[in-house]
Formats: sequence, C-alpha cells, structure tokens
Amino acid sequence: MNPSENDYHISFFKPTTESARHNRNMVGQLILIWAVAIFGFQIMLKILEKPVPEPSYILFESSWLAIESGTPSVTDYQGAGQAVLSVLGKIAIQDDDKLILENALSWMAYQISGQDESLKAALSDFETIAASISDIADEAYVAKKNELIPVLAELFALNELDVRSKIAPLEVKSSLMESFEGSGRDLLVETMGLYLIHNRSALTDAIFLGFPFHYFYTAVFLLILFVGLCWLYCVRTDMYNKKYGIED
Amino acid sequence: MKKILLPLALLSLPTLLHAATAATQLEGGFKVGPAIILIIILILFVMVGIVFRAKDTTDFYAAGRGISKVGSGMAIASNWMSAASFLGMAALMYGSGYHGLAYVVGWTGGYVLLLIMMAGQIRKYGKYTAADFIGDRYYSTTLRAVGAIIAILISISYCVGQFGGIGLMFKWILGIEYSLAVIIGGTVVLTYTLISGMLGVTKNMQIQYVIIIISFIIPLFILTAKFDYFWLLPQIGYGSVVSDAITGLPINETKALVNSLGHDYAVVPVPEFAMPWDPATGKTFFQWIAIAFSLMIGTAGLPHVIQRFYVVPKARDARWSVVWGLFFICILYWSAPPYAAFGKILSAHPEVGTLAKDAIVVYTAQLGNVHPLIVGLLAAGGVSAAFSTVSGLLVAGSSAFAHDLYVKVINPKASPQKQLLYARLGTVLMAIIVTLIALKNFALIGQLVAVAFSLAGCTIFPLFLLGIWWSGSNRAGAIAGLIAGGTVSIIAITYFIAGKSGVSLPAHEFISYWLEAWYFAWFGAPLAIIVHIIVSRFTKETPIEIRKFLIEQVHN
Repeated sequence: MNPSENDYHISFFKPTTESARHNRNMVGQLILIWAVAIFGFQIMLKILEKPVPEPSYILFESSWLAIESGTPSVTDYQGAGQAVLSVLGKIAIQDDDKLILENALSWMAYQISGQDESLKAALSDFETIAASISDIADEAYVAKKNELIPVLAELFALNELDVRSKIAPLEVKSSLMESFEGSGRDLLVETMGLYLIHNRSALTDAIFLGFPFHYFYTAVFLLILFVGLCWLYCVRTDMYNKKYGIED
Repeated sequence: MKKILLPLALLSLPTLLHAATAATQLEGGFKVGPAIILIIILILFVMVGIVFRAKDTTDFYAAGRGISKVGSGMAIASNWMSAASFLGMAALMYGSGYHGLAYVVGWTGGYVLLLIMMAGQIRKYGKYTAADFIGDRYYSTTLRAVGAIIAILISISYCVGQFGGIGLMFKWILGIEYSLAVIIGGTVVLTYTLISGMLGVTKNMQIQYVIIIISFIIPLFILTAKFDYFWLLPQIGYGSVVSDAITGLPINETKALVNSLGHDYAVVPVPEFAMPWDPATGKTFFQWIAIAFSLMIGTAGLPHVIQRFYVVPKARDARWSVVWGLFFICILYWSAPPYAAFGKILSAHPEVGTLAKDAIVVYTAQLGNVHPLIVGLLAAGGVSAAFSTVSGLLVAGSSAFAHDLYVKVINPKASPQKQLLYARLGTVLMAIIVTLIALKNFALIGQLVAVAFSLAGCTIFPLFLLGIWWSGSNRAGAIAGLIAGGTVSIIAITYFIAGKSGVSLPAHEFISYWLEAWYFAWFGAPLAIIVHIIVSRFTKETPIEIRKFLIEQVHN
C-alpha cells in the first residue's frame, strides 16, 4: 500500500479532522445521556426496589394463619375472603390461579354462612341463569345477581361502596363450596403473594403530575428527552457544518 | 399444575361460559357507521394514490426525492405508526403493565441512535435501498442478494402483525370471522399499494398521519372529561388514572360513573399495572432491558425506515425529518398508555370477560361510552395505521425483490417496465405469504412486530453501523458478522415457532427466556458486531475506492 492510501481511513473513535472530532464528541455525549437516561434509571429502580405487600396481603396472612391453626373465627374467614376477592378483582389472573382463588373464596363463604345450604342453592340458581343468557342485561340474571350482592357483602363484611361487593356473586361458586383441600390449598399463600406483593421504592411511591414518578419518567419524560436530543443534534450539526464549511 | 386442577376447572365451567358473554356483546355484529367511515377513508387513500401514482421506477422506489422535511417527518411517523403502535402498545401495557413501556421506550429511543449514527450519512451515501448500500459498501453481489432477502424477511415479519391488526379491526367493524377479515383487509391493502406506489404512499402518509392522530386523540379527550380527570391534556391527565389503579377506586356515590355495560367506574387496587417488572405479570427486569435495547437497535436497522431517508433532497433534510418524525410519533406514543390505564378500570368487572388485548383501544372507547361514530373513527384510524405501514413495507420488500435481486443480481439489463412488473409481482407474493402467516395468529401484534426488529438488529444494523463509521469494515467481516447474527436469529425464531407448534426442543425453556423471539437482538447484535470487527481486522482491507468514497462523500 502506498503512503497516500493510508490517508483514506475513517474510524468513529479515531477522527482525523477537527470537524470529525467535534462530531465524535457530540455523538458520544448524546449517546451517554441517552443510555444513562434509559438504562441508568431502570437499573436504579431495580436497585432501590423492595417487595411491598398490599394491605390485603397483610390481612390475608394473619387471617389465613388463624384458619390454618384450626381455630378460626368468622372474622378470620371474612378477612381472608376479602383478600381473596381483592385478587379476583384484578383482571390479569392466570386461569389456574383463578380456580384456586375461587375455590378458596367459595369455601370461605360456606364456612362463614355456617354451611348454609340455601346460600348454595341460591348461587346454583344464579349460575344456571348465567350459563343460559346471551346478554348480561337479562332481567332474571340481573335480579338474581342484585339479590345475591347484599347477601354476600354482609357475609364478607363489605360495605356497599366497596367494589368487591359487586363482584362477589360472580366469584363464589356453589360447586366449589364444600371443600378446599389438596394442591389448591397448598398453593394459596404463594398465589396470593404473587398478586399482592409488588416491587416498590421511593421512585414508585412519589407522585408527579398525578403519576407515580417512575411511570411519568418512562412514559412521558423519556420521550420528551428523545425529541430534545434529536433537536440538539440537528442544531449543533448545522452549526458545525456552517463553521467548517461542510455542504450537505 | 393444570392436571392437578382439572376437576376444579370442570366444576367452574359455567363461569367461563358466562365470561364470554359480555365480550361478545362488545364485539357485536356489522356496524354501519364505522363501516361507512372506513370506506370513505379508504376511498380517500386510493384517490390520493391515483392522483400521485408512480410513473416510473424512480417514483416507485424513492418518490422523486421531492418531499419536504416536515412532510417527510409526517411520512416517517405515519410509516412508523403501525398497528403495533396504534393497537399493540396499549395491548401490551394492558396485559403486562410497566413491561409494556419497554416497547414505548424502544420504539422511540431507537430514533436517537438512527439520527446521530446514521440518517445523514445514509442519505449522503445515495442509494435506493438497504441492499443497495450493503452490496455497494461491501463490494459483493452475494451480500447484496443476502441483504435483499433479509429485507424481504423483515418486511414479511413486520407485515404479519399489521395484517393481524387489520384483521382485528375489519372483524370488529364488519362483524365477521377473523380469518375472513384478514383476507379481505389484506386484499384491500394490496390493491391500494399496487395502485399508488411510493409517491402515492408518501402523499397518502401525510394524510394518514392526520387521520391516525386525530382518531386516536379525540376519544382520549372524551374519556378524561367523562371520568372527571384533567382533560385539556389527556396525555398528562391520565396520570391520575394510573394512580387510581394503583390505590384502587371505590364506587363513587355521588357521580355514579359507569361503563357502557352499567358497571361502576371502580376497581380494586391493581399496582401490578404500574409497578416495574411485577411478579404478577410474569415479566422480569432483564426482559424489560432486552426488549428496549433490541427494539432500539432494530429501529436503526429496519430497511423500510432507512429507505425513508432516500426520499429527502439533502442530508440536512434527512436529519431534520427524523426530529419531526419522532415528534409526530411521540404524540401517539404519549397517547397510547392512557388507553391501557382506562381499559384496566373500565374492564375490571368480571362480567366484561376476556377481551382481545390487541383491540383494547377500541374496547376502552366502547366501554367508556364514547359515541359509536367516534369509536368507528378510532377503528378506521387503526386500519389507516396498519395500511400506511404495510404500504411502506410492501414497497421496501418489493424493491428488494425487483431492484436488488432481479435487476442487480439476476438480470441487469431488465427494462424499467419489466422492473416495475417484478416489483408488483413481489408485492403480490409478499401479501399472500403474510396473509397465510397472519391467519395463524401466533402472538400479540406488538410482539410479532418486535421479531422484525430483532432480526434487523442482528443483521442489517451492524452492517450499516460499521459500514458507515469504520473503513476497516470489509466484506469478510460483514459475511462473518451476518452469519453470527443470522445464526442467533434462526435459533431464536426456530424455538419460537417450535414452541407455538407444541414442539419442545433441547433447552427449550432456557433459550425461550434468554433468546425470546421479540428480544434476541440483545445478544445477536453485539455478537454480530464483535465477530464483524475481529474478522475484518484479520482479512484483506477494504478497497481504496470505497474508503475514498466514505471520506469524500459520506463524511465530507
């Protein structure tokens, strides 16, 4: 290779002209800001996070302990039932987990009611109607559901403004009331923990413009930053191009 | 676990039957208003396509290079804002909470990389397609052909999600089966692309952007106002919706807020919706990072995105068009999470049942009692989003087929007429393949599209990055890097397809987690870059003409 050919080499990390050096430094700075803003923040979230249980989980833990000890009171069943309803009210539940939870809730309802067969019959009637309708505004269906709402709300000691009182008739199953044993029972604590313990930190608990701070940062601020970085790059590139007489 | 719980499942069967009822009600039958809106919009697109149709191959490929930077920014945004953005992002957040934000960050943050590392330089290089660049920069007809094939595969993979979105929206509007909806929607978008070519597409993209963004934002103003949040800027006002979801929302005694099914606007606490990598979602910190990273480098390697920079007159316009494009894109991306947040509360009652996540944007508007015609406009906007992207993808794919494969490799003496014929033939072939795959309904739209990003990140991104910024990058290095990135891609996609087909391959769980189909580029791209650099260092240097061209033309 002759010496002049050696002049024709370009590498981002080894710029040979002043304008290229400026460009490398600018790109380096922007990439650094970009990377730290995205990944640095998520890493910080990860470092700071702690598993924090929902109040429902704490209630469940104490109630379930009493139930497992063999001498539970009605309040214990009600506490555990309320907690289970808190999980069933979440939409994204795995089908297997939902079965365990429905079984637990139905069994608890049966225990609180003193193994009341009329409750079981009323739920069974409701399920029969529910399986036959094509519209949830069906009169018979709505009437039966409205009949069950206060009954189950009283059973689980829920007030009328508690959304769980409205969903209870759909989650307590007559066919699952009599027993709650086996693998489902073994998995209940784990299942409750899965849905009721969350990764939280000061960054997730702080509120900014109504948002949890970390959510605002990721969903809103980062996008503003990206547009800002792009704008900055273009302005500075135009400036450098003018300075060094570079034609596009 | 499933086997153990089978008796329980049988006992609770009536519940499952019941759960489907409300979802079916929301789906409904044929919807006249939305259908009319959709037809009007489609006719508008075709008319614009006819007026600005491609007259020759230069028009077909690069729209005559006569588009302004703001116009090109709008086209970039419209081209980008696909069914994955319009429908898929809200779906991912609705289903996986904070995990879905990795897609929001990934699909926007990549533009920073694209701009500062590539956009201007790509325009200065002055080629028509990604394969053109690869073939020229690496002085290899074989690599040009491989680049073209990869561009076609990426376009197909990207299109599958779009056809899925088109199918879902046609299904909702026409009240027909998903399969039939995919076929009808696919036929319409194919016809439109064939009529208009890229010049029509570029003009149309500007109109499409306006329709997409208006249709997406109007329901948000209505939802925030209706449910008593700060409605003047719903992209900020929904912050309180997220906080309400975290703390739980009791039934409001005085205002009696309800959804369209009569359920109270209330929800038990659902912190898993907003807390990072929540165990309830089954997603991890690693997956968040891997997805964001893969999508970002994939953005900088997508042929149909790179190709947009060839349609602006100057490198400066290419740079500024990215700023405008990203700003226009962000307007939609700031607006997608509110749909997921409202959807979470509005669909909280068990009677709503299981909703198709990819249609949650439309269901949320429906459940929020938004006027049916506005919901119809929203659905038509979803179709427009998919249309604008599919058109660009089909053009990019057919360009690769006709220009890079047929003309540059097989028949260099082909007449422009024959070239255009092959471009159109390629478009039809691609549309048929995409339709057949879309009918399988493999995964969520956003996830299907993310496969294309990882594929681009493992293959095309390293070639462009090193090709532009390092004259030492040579043909042997490019081939070796491509083999490394391609191998990772093949492994990941094979395991994905095998998993979906019920086949278990060796170390299936391990590979599926670490090299999941929507984020395998986190490993494949760095590997391809390292291999490319090592092999380049130990093999014959890049020819002097190419190094001269890089310094004198690309880097001034």
